[in-house]
Amino acid sequence: MAVAVVLLSGAPFHGGCCRHKVFLSLLGPLLSNSKLYSSYRRPGAEPKKKLSWQNADFSFKKSIDHLKTQLSLLTKETQDYLQGPGGHPLSQHVLEQTRVLWQFRSQEDLNKWVISSDVEIGGKSKVYIKLGRNNQAALLYGTLNTEVPRDGETKYSGYCSMRSRPAVGSFNRKKYYDWSNFNSLYLRVRGDGRPWMVNIYTDPYFSHQKDDLYSYFMFTRGGPYWEEIKIPFSKFFFSSRGRVQDNQHPVWLDKASFLTLGLTIGDKVDGPFQLEIDFIGLLNDRAHREEFAYETYDKN
Amino acid sequence: FTASLLLGTTLTISSNHWIMAWAGLEINTLAILPMISKSHHPRAVEAATKYFLTQATASALLLFSSMINAWQTGQWDITQLTNPTSCLILTSAIAMKLGLVPFHFWFPEVLQGTPLTTGLLLSTLMKFPPITLLYMTSPSLNPTVLTSMAILSTALGGWMGLNQTQIRKILAFSSISHLGWMTIIISYNPKLTLLNFYLYALMTTATFLTLHSTKALKLSTLMTTWTKAPALNAALLLTLLSLAGLPPLTGFLPKWLIIQELTKQDMA
Repeated sequence: MAVAVVLLSGAPFHGGCCRHKVFLSLLGPLLSNSKLYSSYRRPGAEPKKKLSWQNADFSFKKSIDHLKTQLSLLTKETQDYLQGPGGHPLSQHVLEQTRVLWQFRSQEDLNKWVISSDVEIGGKSKVYIKLGRNNQAALLYGTLNTEVPRDGETKYSGYCSMRSRPAVGSFNRKKYYDWSNFNSLYLRVRGDGRPWMVNIYTDPYFSHQKDDLYSYFMFTRGGPYWEEIKIPFSKFFFSSRGRVQDNQHPVWLDKASFLTLGLTIGDKVDGPFQLEIDFIGLLNDRAHREEFAYETYDKN
Repeated sequence: FTASLLLGTTLTISSNHWIMAWAGLEINTLAILPMISKSHHPRAVEAATKYFLTQATASALLLFSSMINAWQTGQWDITQLTNPTSCLILTSAIAMKLGLVPFHFWFPEVLQGTPLTTGLLLSTLMKFPPITLLYMTSPSLNPTVLTSMAILSTALGGWMGLNQTQIRKILAFSSISHLGWMTIIISYNPKLTLLNFYLYALMTTATFLTLHSTKALKLSTLMTTWTKAPALNAALLLTLLSLAGLPPLTGFLPKWLIIQELTKQDMA
């Protein structure tokens, strides 16, 4: 009891000193220049990320030019709005059965796509894109290498992808496509016999759905002839973070945002690959009556 | 869930105490959430989440406004809302509940993610308790705020519905527009608001049920319903024209009476 009283009376005196030291040690990481997170960097990742405020360009002239561009985009959007849905008259929207989304005829068309490969996780695959002969198609080519990067945590490697950039309107607002009039994807390609995977990312509103993806396969022939591949939207299966989910549902096309055309992860075969793409479009195939290809679980 | 919806609605419209009214609104919100997300599609879940967040905020604002009034005046009676701050907060809470401009952004997306029958409930039954509260507190509310929200709702509901291709979104904007008409007259003749609401609910029910039977969710599907159910298609035509307010049809009546009343008030 007496000991406790002595200890308690001594505690504020000691506590003051200890508190000061504890405070400093807690503040240590904040005061020092070292990062609070681990400094491990994956082999293929960029060395140092510039903070967003360091990238800001404070040039007045550039900002005026940027504003003029955005205002002209906004004017064009208003004029399109007066025309009808999607900038076309309503009759066109209701009657159309085909629509070409991407056509590869110039460098500008190529700039609407982004290529990436497993280099970002430290792999050794290579991928390139260029315009084909006579500027009639895009040629996606490269070499697939399934050698796993030696970082102790990656188990698989060997993928290359080509994804479309998301459509942005004026002032960098997201544009959504309404594909509800169509039921199939139509691609005119000339491949090398390797299977590819087509992915659709619908850009959902909430963050916990951001990993959702709808995918299906595209099998190519190696011949010298062009192939016209129709993939119905009812065949696309739903996956999240690369895992196919048990609860399947069809992709809703009223707010589709075609972000990804992912390629070649299925065959795990090392070697060169090549794919020529003439155009990618949509089709309303009246003969295709299937609503959804996969069984859905009954709930409630 | 339908029974819970009816319970919540009845609780709110028959209450004199703010807490009972709030409880009824909460029961309504919670009961309709599983109906919105019944299909478990990500878009349906997104619609349910958006609906919950906006309605919960509105309910909190409503409770806050009633508490301020109770603190200032010492009573919880719905018809005795006298504190000006309380009235302003209540107006914004009800606007959020109903989907009046500038709190309307959630409505088209929520309606787009729901099945048609639940969309019908969202457009009619879920509007009834907030309109009742607006009716009961209308003498104390600021007419300028209500009028400006109403005019913006009517205008924006019409303009934003122009280029839509999805029917549920068109009906959402139509709802926003009609709510504008209902709100503009509530300070001067609240009975016209109720008349407008009843007729709107009737026409919307007819529209939604017709669309449900033809399973038409977009304009292009609607273009081909005349071959499958020609009589129903003709009835839908008349109902939609009535919703628009064409003179010989019923939908013109509330608009005419509202404009007449506004003219008497030197506003139109």
